[in-house]
Amino acid sequence: MTQSDIILKAENICKSFGTVEVLKGISLDARNHDVISILGSSGSGKSTFLRCLNFLETPTSGTVTIQGEEVLVRDGKPQNPRQIEKIRARLGMVFQQFNLWTHRTVLENVMEGPVQVKGVSKAEARDKADALLRRVGLQDRMEMYPSQLSGGQQQRVAIARALAMDPDVILFDEPTSALDPELVGDVLKVMQDLAAEGRTMIVVTHEMGFAREVSSEVVFLHEGRIAEQGPPDQMFNSPQTDVFKKFIATVK
Amino acid sequence: MNPIEVITEYWPRLLDGTIMTIKLTFLGAFIAALVSPGLALVRAYSNSFAQAPLRLYISFMRGTPILAQLFLIYYGSGQFRPILQEWGLWTFFRDPFNCALLAFALNSTAYQTEILRGGIMGVAQGEVEAARAIGMSRIKTLRRVVFPHAYRIAWPALGNEIILLMKASALASVVTVFDIMGRTRQVFSRTFDFSIYLWAAIIYLCITAMFVILWRQAELRLSPHIEPRPRPRTAMQPAKEPRA
Amino acid sequence: MLDLFAYGDAGWGDEILQGLAITIQLAIATLPVGLVLGFMAAFASLSRLWPLRALGFGYTTVMRGLPEILTLFVVYNGAGLLLNMAVKWWNPEASGTDFSPFAAGVIALGLVFGAYAGEVLRGAFQSLDNGQVEAGRAIGMSKSQIFRRIQLPQVWRFALPGLGNLWINMLKDTALVSVIALDDLMRMTKVAVGVTKQPFTFYLVACLLYWAMCVLSEVVLARMERRANRGVRRAA
Repeated sequence: MTQSDIILKAENICKSFGTVEVLKGISLDARNHDVISILGSSGSGKSTFLRCLNFLETPTSGTVTIQGEEVLVRDGKPQNPRQIEKIRARLGMVFQQFNLWTHRTVLENVMEGPVQVKGVSKAEARDKADALLRRVGLQDRMEMYPSQLSGGQQQRVAIARALAMDPDVILFDEPTSALDPELVGDVLKVMQDLAAEGRTMIVVTHEMGFAREVSSEVVFLHEGRIAEQGPPDQMFNSPQTDVFKKFIATVK
Repeated sequence: MNPIEVITEYWPRLLDGTIMTIKLTFLGAFIAALVSPGLALVRAYSNSFAQAPLRLYISFMRGTPILAQLFLIYYGSGQFRPILQEWGLWTFFRDPFNCALLAFALNSTAYQTEILRGGIMGVAQGEVEAARAIGMSRIKTLRRVVFPHAYRIAWPALGNEIILLMKASALASVVTVFDIMGRTRQVFSRTFDFSIYLWAAIIYLCITAMFVILWRQAELRLSPHIEPRPRPRTAMQPAKEPRA
Repeated sequence: MLDLFAYGDAGWGDEILQGLAITIQLAIATLPVGLVLGFMAAFASLSRLWPLRALGFGYTTVMRGLPEILTLFVVYNGAGLLLNMAVKWWNPEASGTDFSPFAAGVIALGLVFGAYAGEVLRGAFQSLDNGQVEAGRAIGMSKSQIFRRIQLPQVWRFALPGLGNLWINMLKDTALVSVIALDDLMRMTKVAVGVTKQPFTFYLVACLLYWAMCVLSEVVLARMERRANRGVRRAA
């Protein structure tokens, strides 16, 4: 692998809220077609780390580089809001609580980004949204409002919304944690398909099955640091650290 | 005279007054609607230092009678007549209609700002984040996500505020603006026929009723996502409440 | 400037304070009238008899749709007319009497307060947990016992913020009675303006006095709300 394969590079990310140090220097490289699962108990900082990657949280220190372009931070704030916006448009994000815009229909939710941010024509955006919603199995829900959908359906819309931007990397923030158990499968299936077609994904999750079967790399965070990292087979079959051993023992 | 004779004789005046009431109310509400979104953003997002003068203004407007505000502008401007004349503003303040309009617009701005601020605060943080995550600029996020939502949340309260303003507009009659109330008092002072008040009451109630219906219609059109709609026949899971 | 507001013959301080006293008296006299009307309206709208419900609905809807100043004129002129008719009927020789502007103010402001309070109280009664009423019934309390011991103390808690707002609105609405020649704060200010030709100064002072009353009311109401919510906080 060469340096140029690296799409997203996070170096030594630290984040404090007031006096609480949540991230204590995390580095991570995502190469093309990587599917990286980030595991950790609650409070380990995994969601915060993910939100630092697209600057929904600004890291206290450390750098994020996306396809060779370093995001400039000064005094705890992004130096150039336009740069952040451009970079966010290239990083899709799927939230735990879906965060669909409740005042727009399913179709409008998916079209919003391409039309408003990328300046794609409405007709083109509609065709694309149509195709994406078909792919996630919601072709008959397009004119509905989010409040009329189940959580699993809402999350699939949110994934279509992220895909509509043709992102280089998709960030998933515990995408199945707010779902009823019987609805988790549909969402995981969609994510699995995305991985299979070679999408680059960084996934914060509690789904051990997904981490084990689908991801190419697993990162285990503990108390704001990377405690263990490696390919899933090696990680799950012969865990190196006590904390990770304990973690897989409790979630299984 | 019986009530029917009163209305057949004086309806042109009441009609004239009705038009004046509507003009005063909606111009006042409209001016306030132009100013309040910006102020509401300051109230919702800016630091307390920048907010201090705005909070003082809103507290004053909400803590004093509109009649007193109207007098302060209409009669009070007389104290500064030489200066106002020098600036060419005297012709504005000499006209009671202008003063009433200014008072109502200032007053409604305070109320609308607070209502809209409530709406802005009511927009789910996650939806704002989703817009930011997709790369929307701050302005675009406000325009496409925050304000459309905030207005839908604030809509009923804004309607109430306009009704209150309509009722308050009757105070303009005290500074000789001939709205419904002004015309009514004029007719009463001539005829001493009490039924003219009842006609005025009916007109006010009709305006309110019509406004309520129109406002509600607009709300239904604005918020199809809130009104329960007929569900399709296909089996569907009920939407799960997002966990906090 | 300050001697304009001196106490005594030279200044207007005492006149304005007298006006302020009338304003406060008017507001305090209106409060019980409005509350009684409000409770009646709430009971009427919650009644099982439809004519009572219609009456309650009609009263609160009509009153809330009318400008307060119109209500005031209707009461002042209308009651004046009725009073004169009654006096004439009793004694055809009597000359016309005027209806007291203070009484007209209390009735008109009370009617307005009552209409809004009716809605606030109805909402409060409806938000009471029905299970508590059933629990009262289950231990054999009478209807009036349930009302006094269980419903009323809790309705108070639910209704207090709304009623507090109404109090502040009513305090401001008292300024209207100056139009029917009651010597309240607003009218005394007007008198002072007529003599001194300093309208801005005096109306500003009047505004500041109303403002002070409203802010003071807000502080007191916030205290009362805290008190009313004591049990709830602890339980939460």
